[in-house]
Amino acid sequence: MSGQADIPRISLTWLLVAQLLVIVPHLSHLPLWIVGLWLGCAAWRIQVLRMRAGYPNAWVKAGLLLGTAVGVLLSRGSLIGLDAGVVLLVAAFILKLLEMRTRRDALVVIFLGFFVVVSAYLFDDSLLAALFSLLPVTALLAALIGLQQSGVAAQPWATARLAAGLLLQAVPLMLLLFVFFPRLGPLWSLPLPSERAVSGLAESMAPADIAELSRSGGLAFRASFAGAVPPREQLYWRALTFEHFDGRRWSQSAFARLPQVPAWEKQGEPLHYSIVMQPSSQSWLFALDVAETSLENTRQMSDYRLQRGRPVERTLLYQVTSWPAAVREPAASSDSLRRVLQLPEDGDPRSRAWGAELKRQYPQPGQLVQAVLSHFNREPFGYTLRPPRLGLNSIDDFLFESRNGFCAHYAGAMTFVLRAAGIPARVVAGYQGGEYNPGGDYVQVRQFDAHAWVEYWQAGKGWVSVDPTFQVAPERIELGLEEALVDEQSFLEGSPFSPLRYRQLTWLNQLRLGWDNLNHGWQRLVLGYQGAQQLELLQRWFGRIDARVLALGLVGGGGLLLGLLALWLFKPWQRARDPQQRLFRRFERLLARHAVLRQPGEGARAFAERAALALPAQAQAIHDFAAAFEAQRYAGQEPCSALLRAHLRVLRRALPWR
Amino acid sequence: MRQLLKRHWQRWLSRRIPPAASVRLTQRRIFIVPTRVGVVFALALLLMLLAAINYQNSLAYALTFLLASVFIVAILHTYRNLAGLVLKAAGAPSVFVGEQGPFRLRLESSARAHQAITLGWPSTAYQTRDVPAQGVSECELSLPALRRGWLRPGRLRVESRFPLGILVAWSWVDLDQALLVYPQPLEGELPLAAGADDELDEQGMRAQGPGSEDFQGLKRYQPGDSKRRLHWKAYSRGQGLLVKDFAALSGREPWLDFEALAGDVELRLSLLCYWVLQLSERQQPFALCLPGQLLAPASGEQHRDACLRALALFGTPA
Repeated sequence: MSGQADIPRISLTWLLVAQLLVIVPHLSHLPLWIVGLWLGCAAWRIQVLRMRAGYPNAWVKAGLLLGTAVGVLLSRGSLIGLDAGVVLLVAAFILKLLEMRTRRDALVVIFLGFFVVVSAYLFDDSLLAALFSLLPVTALLAALIGLQQSGVAAQPWATARLAAGLLLQAVPLMLLLFVFFPRLGPLWSLPLPSERAVSGLAESMAPADIAELSRSGGLAFRASFAGAVPPREQLYWRALTFEHFDGRRWSQSAFARLPQVPAWEKQGEPLHYSIVMQPSSQSWLFALDVAETSLENTRQMSDYRLQRGRPVERTLLYQVTSWPAAVREPAASSDSLRRVLQLPEDGDPRSRAWGAELKRQYPQPGQLVQAVLSHFNREPFGYTLRPPRLGLNSIDDFLFESRNGFCAHYAGAMTFVLRAAGIPARVVAGYQGGEYNPGGDYVQVRQFDAHAWVEYWQAGKGWVSVDPTFQVAPERIELGLEEALVDEQSFLEGSPFSPLRYRQLTWLNQLRLGWDNLNHGWQRLVLGYQGAQQLELLQRWFGRIDARVLALGLVGGGGLLLGLLALWLFKPWQRARDPQQRLFRRFERLLARHAVLRQPGEGARAFAERAALALPAQAQAIHDFAAAFEAQRYAGQEPCSALLRAHLRVLRRALPWR
Repeated sequence: MRQLLKRHWQRWLSRRIPPAASVRLTQRRIFIVPTRVGVVFALALLLMLLAAINYQNSLAYALTFLLASVFIVAILHTYRNLAGLVLKAAGAPSVFVGEQGPFRLRLESSARAHQAITLGWPSTAYQTRDVPAQGVSECELSLPALRRGWLRPGRLRVESRFPLGILVAWSWVDLDQALLVYPQPLEGELPLAAGADDELDEQGMRAQGPGSEDFQGLKRYQPGDSKRRLHWKAYSRGQGLLVKDFAALSGREPWLDFEALAGDVELRLSLLCYWVLQLSERQQPFALCLPGQLLAPASGEQHRDACLRALALFGTPA
């Protein structure tokens, strides 16, 4: 119909509600002035609705538009890019609602609203966000329905119920499309939201400069094992290695960035597991040693870490097989060994001297490493997240003065000493341990599980991992960070309300684990349902998968679902719901058996008279029924099926059985 | 070519939806396609799908699929909103040329409610009605009556875009309605049958007596009045130019004669129509004389309607 007509009140009401619901999920990343703009525009629009204010004129609109553009430019630094784009989209949604007058404007606002809902998914795709987004979608649909309603009789709640009903009925078909619709790779690259990914891992580490390490309880990843979960102290999740030391800072060597498949042999029982990784904005993945993954665009690097072609910006699901007993690079080239013996030109003389002395004392590398470890164990070293700042010779200061620090201090110092003693060694950064969730049978690893340890190379045995922190604070490895910090009370200091702090409350802890389990399932089944997962699932269900199976599944399944829905909507079995009509049909069928067929269009009375002529013996019964039927049907008599049924019974008995 | 297609289409329609005074909209009689809004909706979905693909975002996929499913489910709902609706012709009172011809319709629901049903002919403004569950909704549509005779409105478009406006289900219904259009009444000289003139003279005088009611037997001459009706006797008495207003006549039935008029057929019919109405209003018996048709002197509504009908249908193929 005409796009010029006014917007029905119901539609407008739901649009205003939808606006609120659409914008709420964006609040966390929108600049504050957008909220002001929104409140102002909503108030204005409501005043227009109450006839207390007029629509904005052209100058006001131009001013608002310009102001918004300037605001976006100021708060986002540009008018393009995803962040600015989303702000502009939301602003357009707000401003269009203010100036809309006609149905066509309302349609534009509704479609904009759907886009704003989609854009919110780019920032938050958790289970809660997904569930919440059903509210704005329902409100937008209600507004769309409201546009079709004349407005006088329509009730806002009835409209919303209708919208919700439509959505509910669409769910089975949506699931079918979700499962079968082929997932394509990105068609072109798009800017991604600048993720404020909290990571316990950095690309380099400088323990000497950290006075206080407070780690977040944010999730890093979850791992589900195909078999039994290995004991906690074996869960060393490798992320990357630091081979270069400049006196204060450990960092990746340039060489580690080159793809070079290292030599290793599969040995022992493999571990099969899958990992759902949170976005990290980094391109390294987490795995136990020594790992292989089927994930596309991912390869094993020379230091055994898994590296993906592009950063992990979305929740990522990947399958890993690890051989913990594998021997790594038993025969290394002297070139690569020189790299892992690198030390700064000068500095830390006492540590170097200690290394040299150890080398004299223990000609066997294995013994030497044991000696260093037992040194940490024997001497009064302590584990703390609030280490003292270290001076110019940071390794010396730590080893001989402060003797307090966290994993990075121990790993760095030990690698330094091993190198000084002529043993090739490097720092491995990653996560250690994790919390086992018994409900979902998986391990969840959080940012505060970030860890650093050491691996050294020995001819014939290859790379061997050791963890000096274990010597100092075995509870950190066996039980977790919280237990290691019982005295210090520094566990999750920054977040007093984190449920992780209250693990001793059983019910709360169970609630927390259950919720985490739910989210894990959500990420594995829904968010991770992309290319490879889809193929795997469909192959498991249908064996072979090709375009024909997909098309057949979509069309066949869709047809079936629609058919069921149509049955449910139209209820054809209830068509002759009118009991009198049904009894009349029976009357007709009864007479038809005695060769009296009702002509098309023949009325009840005419038919009865004709039947009475044909069956004179039963004329009375036939007339009785027809008269009762007519009286109830047309003369306004109270409908009474029992009476009709009684007349029918009399007639049936009067007729010879046939 | 277009004409041919149109004829073909009409023939096909009348086979599929035969004209009847009561039509129930069923599966065979309802057509459904997306509206322009629906096409835009589909384009918006396509954009969302592109976003989902490029951002590899499962939730964007899910919302796109949900809305696409809503689109498909809406087909059933839009169809259901029209299906089962019974349309009945509820009379079409006669009108005069130049008026709006009202066609009354009854929309009956046999089970569920039908919302926002739009009715109308393509040439006129559409009307929207809600029909309550198992209830009835009345509707009056009008078409301009341009020519006398039977006004047949042609097929009525019944459509519904409810609930989402992205699909339109419609049907072309012929309720076999027709409306009789009378000629437009035109004031003018009294078309009396020849020979009645002298007697009228007397009667005109008589009507001037004290018994006359709210009208004058004579009225002032106005240009255009027939000179044959000038009242010379009054003129000679110095009362000015007066015309015999035959309306005052009583006692003898006037014969309204088509042949007594000059001018083209429509004009003559219009004049006759005017006098039929005037005389009927005064409850004066009169006769109507049309070529090949004579309506004997009588009065009353029935007579008037018969006369008007004769005028309306004069010269049209029965």
